[in-house]
Amino acid sequence: MASADVVVIGAGLAGLSCAAELVERGARVFLAAKGMATTHWTHGGIDVAATQGARSARDGVERLGAVAGHPYARLGDEVEPALDRQLARLASAGLPYVGGLDTPLVPVPTAIGTLRPAALLPRGQASAAEPWDGDGLLLVGFGRYRDAWAPYATRNLVAANWPGGPREVRAAVVDLPWVARLHNLNGLTLARLFDDPMWRGRALAAVAAAIPAGRWRIGMPAVLGIERHREALAEAEATLGARVFEVTSLPPSVPGMRLFEALRRRILDGGGRIQVGFDVTAVEREADHVLAIHTDAASRTLRLVAGTFVLATGGIAGAGFRAGRDGRLEERVFDLRVTAPPRDAWFSDDPLTPHPLEAAGIEVDDAMTPEGLANVRVIGSALAGMHYLDQRCGDGVALASAHRVARSLASPREMAA
Amino acid sequence: MTFHDAATREFPPFSTDACIKCTVCTTVCPVARVTDAFPGPKYVGPQAQRFRGPSVDGGSPDHTVDLCSGCGICTRACPAGVLIAETNNRARAAIVAERGSSLRNRLISDTDMLIRLGTPLAPLANFGLHNRPLRWVGEKVLGIHRRGPLAAFSRRTFGSWWKRRGGPTSLPAEPDPARTLVYFHGCAVNGFEPDLGRDAVEILERNGFTVIVPPQECCGLPFVSNGLYDHARRKARRNLESLAEFARAGYRIVGTSTSCTHAIKAEYREMLDLVDDDARVVADATWDICELLVELHDRGELDTRFAPVPESLPYHPPCQLKSHGIGTPAMDLFALVPGLRATDSDHDCCGAAGTYGLKVERWQIAQDVGAPLFAKVRAAAAAGASRAACDSETCRWQIEQSSGVPAVHPVTILAESYRRADEAVDGRWRRVV
Repeated sequence: MASADVVVIGAGLAGLSCAAELVERGARVFLAAKGMATTHWTHGGIDVAATQGARSARDGVERLGAVAGHPYARLGDEVEPALDRQLARLASAGLPYVGGLDTPLVPVPTAIGTLRPAALLPRGQASAAEPWDGDGLLLVGFGRYRDAWAPYATRNLVAANWPGGPREVRAAVVDLPWVARLHNLNGLTLARLFDDPMWRGRALAAVAAAIPAGRWRIGMPAVLGIERHREALAEAEATLGARVFEVTSLPPSVPGMRLFEALRRRILDGGGRIQVGFDVTAVEREADHVLAIHTDAASRTLRLVAGTFVLATGGIAGAGFRAGRDGRLEERVFDLRVTAPPRDAWFSDDPLTPHPLEAAGIEVDDAMTPEGLANVRVIGSALAGMHYLDQRCGDGVALASAHRVARSLASPREMAA
Repeated sequence: MTFHDAATREFPPFSTDACIKCTVCTTVCPVARVTDAFPGPKYVGPQAQRFRGPSVDGGSPDHTVDLCSGCGICTRACPAGVLIAETNNRARAAIVAERGSSLRNRLISDTDMLIRLGTPLAPLANFGLHNRPLRWVGEKVLGIHRRGPLAAFSRRTFGSWWKRRGGPTSLPAEPDPARTLVYFHGCAVNGFEPDLGRDAVEILERNGFTVIVPPQECCGLPFVSNGLYDHARRKARRNLESLAEFARAGYRIVGTSTSCTHAIKAEYREMLDLVDDDARVVADATWDICELLVELHDRGELDTRFAPVPESLPYHPPCQLKSHGIGTPAMDLFALVPGLRATDSDHDCCGAAGTYGLKVERWQIAQDVGAPLFAKVRAAAAAGASRAACDSETCRWQIEQSSGVPAVHPVTILAESYRRADEAVDGRWRRVV
């Protein structure tokens, strides 16, 4: 058996941020997760509300807050304090972010040469959102690293409508030292190489040799170090004599892993416990109260007892829900009622319009409490009523709901510097 | 129930259909972290699995799966519930079935045979183990790395100590399953670390249990790890035959090696297809010793009169322990000992992975995997720690060999603390005989 004040279930952005906030407020926290989650697949920026037509995240939050049933209708005023705390937390962990609620949303390039609106980015990606002022964009790709192929992205960006964008976009493919000998190359492999100062020096010299004359800003695959990212980024800008930003690509997402690690460290340093591979298989309840959850263990289950249980297991694209052939969406831990369209509406001819199932989720009250279970809270994309891909609001909802819950469960305490 | 349901547990490759190709497993793989030769769990697991099958020409499409150390971290990190490490272990066994195994792998897997040969000749055998020219010959002839972590043979086995002590080995005439435990010592305690077995017996007896040590063999895990499933099944079968009658009578089986207990709990079924009633009752009755002591403590039944052990202690939870899904019960127990400041290593794997770190062609990988751990242990020692703690024997030997710092099982520290408590009462340092 293990016991805690709060058991948080799920290790995505919502669960990690909630657990971090709770330990900072002095609560005993046990975070149990079936597996690692979306941080490892997503871009590491913070999408608060880059919804269509929004000028800033604050504007987006107001627009979405006016949509009936959207989580921001309840959480609108929670976004700012939640964001302040998260940015301070990450900055103190050596992972500073740039931008905020009132920063104008501007297009930033992706690894396939599309543009996505962003206003809050890790320092390593932030130069992409600064005014271009006549700078050209040199997209650098690395030989044999297919997950971020600069010539392809460049072709799309040249053809794209990019208001206020760079003077011109060009591609350069650089062969990095030693990489030709590798059999297996993903973003993490390269990031680990960039952690090594010796290799990094040679790699950056190779990149520098590929920069044409003129004023350029350099977009590079998001692999500039994992444990020594700050150092790698600073050295890249110094060596290349230009502003450098990372362009995120296919999993594994190195910026997301840095975010995961910063929050994980924060929780452990605050005395919290994290166990991954702990899948909830049973719940002990008495009337509207959850007494304990049981996680899958070899030969038996492990009983986790807590005063409150925070469900942060993700939405339809995460592992929180399971769809049955009968058209029912099952919430896997507490069997909470999932609001979802009927099965006939699960299919759409157009894969690129917002999917009706995306908005499926759990209805909660202002305290994030679902119907029927008084000591359970639901946070993150398990909440009903949002199209987090189209509305680009998933990170903001995760942070705001996590903060609302942590604040209500643990009294404030000075945040450790 | 999830993908970890009965069907997938009995045939883990079924679970690979749930893979969403997110690559999380590859990011946490300690072997992929240190060598480019291993493409990572996703590639050798769910990807390659699609091309594996009994009827496919040549059987196995990708032999790099043999570089998997079997730590199981991928399975625990997978958000989709794919039993990646289990699938990969079976793939290795298929390769072994197809191509045969080396003499070296059969030799280092057969621990019972090594102990039968080694303990009567312990001084001679240990001379050989510590003799550089002989180890060099062993490396050249057998492929056992000259600096691979091999423990010294004990002069007498735990089994012979138990026999001399006259301890019970069979079902008692008056059954009392609530106050009796069956001890599965495994081969390591039997041939290399009998003192650990004595510490375990001492702790269990102190907490009011009668201990039974029935006839037993190596759990078979070294054979499992080397893909020698037929050999492993023979070991497993004989253990199940011996243990099943106790399990059926309601007795709990407790082990001091997280590797053996995990083999009995999970690998007999997930890899060796042992799914009959004997295997089920024995698996359900099996406990890791720290897991059991924490359970006792939860019920308020653990003797918590621990004397202070004022030291700082780097603790490494082994991969096999993590696969139990019980967290780190040793850390909960350490918290009960006054003055003991244990620190979780927060490192994935020591690299040894049973016999993996012994092999000449794997030794460097194992060293690189464990290097940050060894550095942490050395730093703790430089700051005053006199030893490290770890629940699995081969991990302890790897830590000792590579960091130069002695490593003990958590119960060794608990037993010491109990003895100090007794000594404080009557001035005598007791030890079970």
